[in-house]
Amino acid sequence: MRRVVLGRVLLLAGLLGLWELWARHGDPLLYVPPSRVVPALARLLRLEAYPTLPAHVGLTAFEVLVAYALVVALGLSLGFALGLPRHVGAIYEPILAACYAIPSVVWYPSLMLFFGLGPASKIAFGVLLGFFPVVLAVLAGLRAVEPHLLTVSRALGAKPAACFVKVVLPAITATLVAGLRAGLALTVVGVLVGEILGARRGLGYLINYTYGFFRTADYAALALLALVLVLLVDGIAAWTESRARRWTEGAA
Amino acid sequence: MSALRRRALQSLSIAVLLALWELAVRTGWADPLFVPAPSSVVRAFRTIGPEALRLLGETLGKTLLAYVLAVTLGVGAGLLIGGVRYLHDVVSPFLVALYALPKILVLPWILLTFGLAATPAVVYGVLQGFFPICLLVAGGVRDVDRMPLHVARSMGATSWQLYRKVILPAVLPAVLAGMKLGIVFCLLGVLVVEMFGGIRGMGFLLVSLANAFRAPELFAATALVSLLSVGVVLGLERLNQRLGHWR
Repeated sequence: MRRVVLGRVLLLAGLLGLWELWARHGDPLLYVPPSRVVPALARLLRLEAYPTLPAHVGLTAFEVLVAYALVVALGLSLGFALGLPRHVGAIYEPILAACYAIPSVVWYPSLMLFFGLGPASKIAFGVLLGFFPVVLAVLAGLRAVEPHLLTVSRALGAKPAACFVKVVLPAITATLVAGLRAGLALTVVGVLVGEILGARRGLGYLINYTYGFFRTADYAALALLALVLVLLVDGIAAWTESRARRWTEGAA
Repeated sequence: MSALRRRALQSLSIAVLLALWELAVRTGWADPLFVPAPSSVVRAFRTIGPEALRLLGETLGKTLLAYVLAVTLGVGAGLLIGGVRYLHDVVSPFLVALYALPKILVLPWILLTFGLAATPAVVYGVLQGFFPICLLVAGGVRDVDRMPLHVARSMGATSWQLYRKVILPAVLPAVLAGMKLGIVFCLLGVLVVEMFGGIRGMGFLLVSLANAFRAPELFAATALVSLLSVGVVLGLERLNQRLGHWR
């Protein structure tokens, strides 16, 4: 175990060293060594470089929040609507899976046409990306529910609502929560891609702006900040997932 | 439910959906400026057809190049990482993180570095395709049952026989799954670069049609790319089943 950690640290240090060396000898407009990214990041975080940074990050966070709320609501309702009746899922799941095979970004221009350049098109694209893993997770979870358990509980006189809460829900929680986590990650990606492809405000817009003006150090610092935020969101999701998993195992 | 009946119901649902859509536009419920009727989308195919097909060809050329590179690098790295335990333990958290992180963040830098031609599109396509393929293959190699390997070796199989008869068939499903997933990611990467950088190809066409508010043509072009992509993935799936029989 210790050797593995050592290997990881060495790999990371080696990559950073290589980046530093490479960037020092390259075009300073294109390549920014880590030693220049750190001060840029400090200036960024002290709000000296871009005083409006919190507003941009706030807007992006707002878009992600709204998009994810819609993903959960739409994904769960469509998933259960298709998965609970007996044959409906078998008919429509292949169609959904086929849509999953379409590179999502082809829809973005249509969304831009429909919703305009404002936050609405970013929210819509985030929903589009995040929605599929949630629906597919609900369908996969429902398919894996033991039919015997349902038959037995029905035979023992459980009402449909009780069946759902006591049998179906615990059985699908693990799959569902994994799907919700994947959906969250994709929602964030969707919002960021939307902002970078065309926006007037937001973190993605700011990244685009710094790149457009060749402020490469600021760009690298912003990209790093975005990465940290993404990792933070996913960390919270991972923590929630492990809690939910423990809950189902405790109930079983 | 029989497969035939399921097929029929699927086709019927899509037909009903298209008819409702057409009706919604015809009755004025949906604004054709934003949501054109299916009939006008079909008509738009004729106006942009030749140009769209040419640009689609360009996009596909870049995608194919990116795909070949991504599969070669991804499968190679996946076999290596999956095969060497220590390497797998060290590298896998980085791979998982890189797979999950939004690669769009490095897109501006790729365009700065590689200019505004086909190269950044191919590079970004490879970047999108590499990680899912590599992770799937590495996972597949890790999950290979070690027992047949030991048995074959103790019975005196040469390393070529070992590779040909035991390892390759065991790893093949993971490689094929990676190949199926990879093509969508590569196409996505190429399209994003074309959209963002304004580089000749289908992605740029889509964005310019949206900016020009030519909704029927935009829907037609979107449908073209979507159908093609679904077709390719279904084709790979068919191939997968074929090879499954061979195994």
